[in-house]
Amino acid sequence: MAGSDLFAQALNGLSYGVLLFLLSVGLTLIFGMLDVVNLAHGSYYMLGAYAGLALIAATGNFWLALAVAPLAVGVVGIVVERTCLRPLYRRGPLDQVLLTFGLIYVFEDLVKWIWGGRIRSIPTPELLASSVNVWGAVIPSYRLFVIAFGLVMAIGLWLVIEKTRLGAIIRAGVYDSEMTAGMGINIHRVFTLVFAFGAALAGLSGVIAGPIQSAYPPMGASILIPALIVVVVGGLGSLKGSLAGSLLIGQAETFGKAWLPGASMLIIYVVMAVVLLMRPQGLFGRALK
Amino acid sequence: MTGPVLARAAALIVLTAAVALFPLAAGTYPVKLLQEILIWGIFAMSLDLLMGFAGMVSFGHSAFFGIGAYTAALLLPKFPGLLAALVAPAVAAGLGALVIGFFSIRVSGVYFIMLTLAFSQMFYAVAFQNAFLGAEDGLVGIPRPAVLGMSIGSTGAFHAYLLVIAIVCALFLWRVVRSPFGHVLRGIHENEARMQAVGYPVNRYKLAAFVIAGMLAGVAGSLYTQFVGSISPSAFLWTTSGEALLMVIIGGTGTLFGGILGAGAFILLQSLVSSYTERWMLILGLTFVLLVLFAPGGIVGALRGRVGLRA
Amino acid sequence: MAQLTRRKFLGGASAIAAGAAAGPWVLRAHAQGAPIKIGLVLPYSGVYAVLGESITQAMELVFARENWTVAGRKIEMIKEDDEMQPPVGIRKTEKLIESDKVDILTGPVHSGILMGMRDKVHNSKTILIVSNAGADAISRERCSKWIFRTSFSNWQPNQPMGGWVAKNLTKDVFIMAPNYQAGKDQLGAFKETFVPAGGKLVGEDYPKLGETDYAPYLTKIRQSGAKAVYAFFSGTDAVNFVKQYDQFGLKQSIKLTGAGFLTEPDVLPAQGRSALGVITGHFYTPLLENPTNVAFVRDFRAKFGGKMPDGFACQGYDTAETIVRALKAVGGNTQDKEKLVAAIEATAFESPRGPFRFDPKTHNVIQPFIYIREVKEVAGGLNNVPFDKVADVRDPGTGCTLPS
Repeated sequence: MAGSDLFAQALNGLSYGVLLFLLSVGLTLIFGMLDVVNLAHGSYYMLGAYAGLALIAATGNFWLALAVAPLAVGVVGIVVERTCLRPLYRRGPLDQVLLTFGLIYVFEDLVKWIWGGRIRSIPTPELLASSVNVWGAVIPSYRLFVIAFGLVMAIGLWLVIEKTRLGAIIRAGVYDSEMTAGMGINIHRVFTLVFAFGAALAGLSGVIAGPIQSAYPPMGASILIPALIVVVVGGLGSLKGSLAGSLLIGQAETFGKAWLPGASMLIIYVVMAVVLLMRPQGLFGRALK
Repeated sequence: MTGPVLARAAALIVLTAAVALFPLAAGTYPVKLLQEILIWGIFAMSLDLLMGFAGMVSFGHSAFFGIGAYTAALLLPKFPGLLAALVAPAVAAGLGALVIGFFSIRVSGVYFIMLTLAFSQMFYAVAFQNAFLGAEDGLVGIPRPAVLGMSIGSTGAFHAYLLVIAIVCALFLWRVVRSPFGHVLRGIHENEARMQAVGYPVNRYKLAAFVIAGMLAGVAGSLYTQFVGSISPSAFLWTTSGEALLMVIIGGTGTLFGGILGAGAFILLQSLVSSYTERWMLILGLTFVLLVLFAPGGIVGALRGRVGLRA
Repeated sequence: MAQLTRRKFLGGASAIAAGAAAGPWVLRAHAQGAPIKIGLVLPYSGVYAVLGESITQAMELVFARENWTVAGRKIEMIKEDDEMQPPVGIRKTEKLIESDKVDILTGPVHSGILMGMRDKVHNSKTILIVSNAGADAISRERCSKWIFRTSFSNWQPNQPMGGWVAKNLTKDVFIMAPNYQAGKDQLGAFKETFVPAGGKLVGEDYPKLGETDYAPYLTKIRQSGAKAVYAFFSGTDAVNFVKQYDQFGLKQSIKLTGAGFLTEPDVLPAQGRSALGVITGHFYTPLLENPTNVAFVRDFRAKFGGKMPDGFACQGYDTAETIVRALKAVGGNTQDKEKLVAAIEATAFESPRGPFRFDPKTHNVIQPFIYIREVKEVAGGLNNVPFDKVADVRDPGTGCTLPS
């Protein structure tokens, strides 16, 4: 295979990997930091896409939708966290599974009720509607934007979590919530904030993925598994892991599709199985007992 | 025998009798719904052994359901007897559980959930793309086995056959849970480190539980193939595992028989509600949410609370 | 006095005679006063709900035109949501056959559900009119005299396209379909006429069903040197593939063609301008100019808030039209199933897709035409504009032996 062919596929793998990162980073935050099994993660992704559709229908502006839709989803996250999740922190994962599974059904049917079941799609913004030639590889400009956006997002998140006071509070709250509360910090508010933020990130990825993919009520289920796999491969709660895991899977899936026809259904599961069997806590997760 | 125990035993006997005599009172469709509930109930109970007693939440239990289902589907057309209908599927599923369990038990928590999920999805992919296994449409035209020389083609005969197997499975699981083995499992669930420190080969116990649960799931899968007369790859989907998980939680985790109640609630909700309203998904979802928030012990928990029977 | 008595007697006698002769008819009409039950096993939830709705709406259109009455009996439609899942679909089928005791069953969308239903329907001698699922097997080795199909077999829209593409576009084609049996069957049908017409398969690939990122495949297509692509995708796969194909800038140099499902109205609005210029083969497009279709489009849009009918609606129309005509032919007698089957087999009428009739050899519809269409911007938005056609496409029915 020629060098430019290889490079073209690697570029494809990078764009897919970055998209996966955006899809899963919210989940790793919630999972790792709040210890909450949030199966409804895909639902926030879906709500983001539909909020984006509504905003574009109203204003015709993709960039506005990109900025505002995540906020709307974040608000939904706040409501869910305070009404449904807060009673469950002490109750353990099984109840959270049932509750978030129920939320999946509720959100999906509500969206279908309001917007109908027809397949829809967010149109590519005019500015990025063409394709460009990068060192012999042809790639849509929109995908280049996704790569840039995703990497900037990764750096931004890292800065917030590692370098700001808010980040320190979140990290402390995760490590030892009682102690943090004892130091006078409103731990409930921190948890709500983190959850809402995770939901907003999922909503953001719904808008970003919009021009490349379709929007339809059951769409949440289609990204839940890939997101969970990325989180597990990277290590629960690790931002670095989320990025590493998604980039790894992005390349594995892309080259798998290019070189191993017929195996495309299996690749992501095989990658995860291999990683977990070699490192049971994921690439960058905390070592388990 | 104390009062609550007598009461509980009496309730079970009455319930079993009602189920047994149901075909005499109701039409074919409700009877078939009940039969499906029994089959999924066995599946859910086997998962409860893992989840409620051993504390292992598996999202890959459908792998064994599927192995049992496909084993029966491949063998019954050529050998329509109990060996193909019950023994072979249980053995095949057990072997599958041995292999998958061996690898999965190395990890725990969310990682265990995801790894078991991955394995069942791999089975799905293979079944979906393999022409010998019927590809995406699966296998059809599967005959029911002859039991002791008699045919169980009729709904009534199949009902008796199914009920006997369900009772045997339930009693078997009940015995397992009450045995010393079951107590060790519960100990592992409560405090694995302590059990390890005391000297139990924890992983071997977990693997045994995994295999037992897997074998019963295989029996459930095989029964499903015999019930419908066909099987498709959806048996392997992670959503099938998810539904069993929901059935266990709805019925009450760690109650064993809650599995059958949960299966009943879920199937009735899924089938009946959708016959009456388009918004069945909303109703189902809200039911789950409200159940979790207000009935944390599942159906059995609520019943026990209501009737005053303690755990 | 005697005359009056004789007249009275004759009048009375003839009245009694008429009554005696009419008796059985009256009794039968009484028994047949019971409504005719039509069962529908279709998805009403999930992504494919739009197909279920289209098919149902068209059926309602036809039945409403007949005032929901045929041969003096009321028509009752019993709809069951199969959720596109085989276990649920089979359960609902059982309910309709055994609990509701429907006279005629219709549906499903999902071929897996159809294959699971087949034996139940055949063994219970229930008449099934397949209104969508295209599994070739139902017209081949798994055919049944009780099963008819008004929609299509997967083979039909694809087989003529092979020869057409080779002759009219180019001989260097890259073909693609999702990795499942139906996908492989559809491309197989394409190859049947493509290769003999001198076509060269520059590439052949099967992405997984439900793929969201086609980038690696699109890069491969560009690198293959193909001059056209022939693809079978439906639903969200069709939307994702066509959008991404356009984003990669392939449309200008490599013509995109496919089976009709690639650009049907269930996916076209989401595809938007990225679907412009895509050429597909299908048995229907709402822009057909025959009088039956013009009336159909007009009536459908009037009844359903301006919604444009699609191929699925046409399938529903043909299903209901078949039911109505066959029932009229047997005078509403649903007890004599053999007669009803014969009446259905003989049904022929003007459908929105052209002259409709069943192939007695397979009970599958004979497509009067497979229209070659191109997506263009017309009054009212994007649509599949027909510009060529292949006539009389009938499924080969290999392995189907129906009793005569």
